[in-house]
Amino acid sequence: MIKLSPKLSQKFSYALLCFAAILAIAPVLLIVFMIIKNGASAISWEFLSSMPKDGMRGGGILPAILGTLSIVLCAITVTLPVGVCAAIYLNEYAKDNMLTRIIKLAIVNLAGVPSVVYGLFGFGIFVMFLKLGVSIIAGALTLSIMELPVIITTARSALNSVPYSFREASLSLGVSRWQTIRHVVLPSAIPGILTGAILSIARISGETAPILFTAAAFYVPHLPYSIFDQVMALPYHLYIISTQIPNMPKNVIYGTAFVLLMMVLTMSCVAIFARVYFRKRRKW
Amino acid sequence: MVDKIKIENLSCYYNKKCVLDSLDLNVVENEILGVIGPANSGKTTFLRTINRMNDFDVTYSRKGNVYLDGDDIFDIDAENLRRRVGTLFAMPIPLPMSIYDNITYAPKRLGLVAKKSDLDGMVERVLKYASLWDEVKDRLDASAMKMSGGQQQRLCIARVLAINPEVILFDEPCSGLDPISTAKVEELMIELKEKYTIVLVTNNVKQASRVSDRTAFFLMGKLIEVDKTGKLFVSPKEKETEDYITGRFG
Repeated sequence: MIKLSPKLSQKFSYALLCFAAILAIAPVLLIVFMIIKNGASAISWEFLSSMPKDGMRGGGILPAILGTLSIVLCAITVTLPVGVCAAIYLNEYAKDNMLTRIIKLAIVNLAGVPSVVYGLFGFGIFVMFLKLGVSIIAGALTLSIMELPVIITTARSALNSVPYSFREASLSLGVSRWQTIRHVVLPSAIPGILTGAILSIARISGETAPILFTAAAFYVPHLPYSIFDQVMALPYHLYIISTQIPNMPKNVIYGTAFVLLMMVLTMSCVAIFARVYFRKRRKW
Repeated sequence: MVDKIKIENLSCYYNKKCVLDSLDLNVVENEILGVIGPANSGKTTFLRTINRMNDFDVTYSRKGNVYLDGDDIFDIDAENLRRRVGTLFAMPIPLPMSIYDNITYAPKRLGLVAKKSDLDGMVERVLKYASLWDEVKDRLDASAMKMSGGQQQRLCIARVLAINPEVILFDEPCSGLDPISTAKVEELMIELKEKYTIVLVTNNVKQASRVSDRTAFFLMGKLIEVDKTGKLFVSPKEKETEDYITGRFG
């Protein structure tokens, strides 16, 4: 066993730890670089704004973009109010009893279910049992259930970070509990809740498995009319064009990936800016 | 001499551990009742029982009765009770909003003031009362979190006055304040007793002797003695009281 001097071992461990941290940047840079290098040539206004042509080898990916946007929008409309209400109940009202513990256990477990299982579940419940068919709404509901634990957890930690003394000050003035939540706690917690919501949107935009059986279509020759329509979706479209279609131009595949990546990154950036903005406005 | 608050055989527990033992005490209308005693003597529990802030603590339980103007406080609505019994905490806690909003917050929620113009007048009146108006009249829209500690405490007093309570509970209101701010708050308390009934819990024995009309001495959850402040400080009946006020312990 070689015994290093304290100084040397300090340098060595510093280098090792620093290297590990830098390693985290590498995949991000590589992914972005690779996708831009191979896909940038496909990006054009026409690519973003027209229908696919020639068995999807040419034309644009507009229906897939709109499909993903509409599914994600519907999903967050459902999951955000439910999740925030649940978080308020758990954080502000729930007593530490059997029911609360069961709810918390359920949330933890919900977060651990693999996404493809959500897909199957959504297919069984929304598509078959509720007869919604393979549609935007069925996919959105599936995604919203999948995202519920994340929204609840982030909203709870946002509520929890509001100092308890604010609640006491408000309650001591004879203001009711709900008014205290509505006028003191929620305004202070909204930045955290919003950031969590935006990151959730980013995350579910890229999900493939849950919409695989519930919303996504191989090809739809028109844009979605209503929430009961089957749609094309970016992640699923990407999977199809990279595996199911022979002689697919490579730049179209990477171009599609580029669009999906940009959608997700843009939303993450919005989340970061929102956080900075609200932190500046925060008064404590 | 009308009893504003009457406490009968009140015992309080946290996790079944007794922190306040069969307390009988009354608070007379328009007096300042000082409550002194070392740490863990049950002073704060006493206040948090009267304004029912302890309702939210699941480990807390109690026996006995407390009456406000003859109404059992555990029978009336807790929110209504807290509107009648205002509280000032040891640390000033401004709400994360502007100075103006801090004062109008509760009256608005409780529906005490109807018109915007009434709000302006009310803000000016309570801030003047708390002798804070001259310092903040040009920056009512500024965040209350940016004021100094003494200003914050006076803002909190103004905020309590805005809901026009009958009783005001002061829980060591000067523990974080400098001597000048302390003097201002004490002066204010003496002014306030003309309109309100005041309970002042304090760690500062001298403060109780300066401000209160009657003083109660708590020790280990028990009321040892209560008497006119002049009498209690000059010739206490109990040995423990004498030891405490002369600084032999606590």
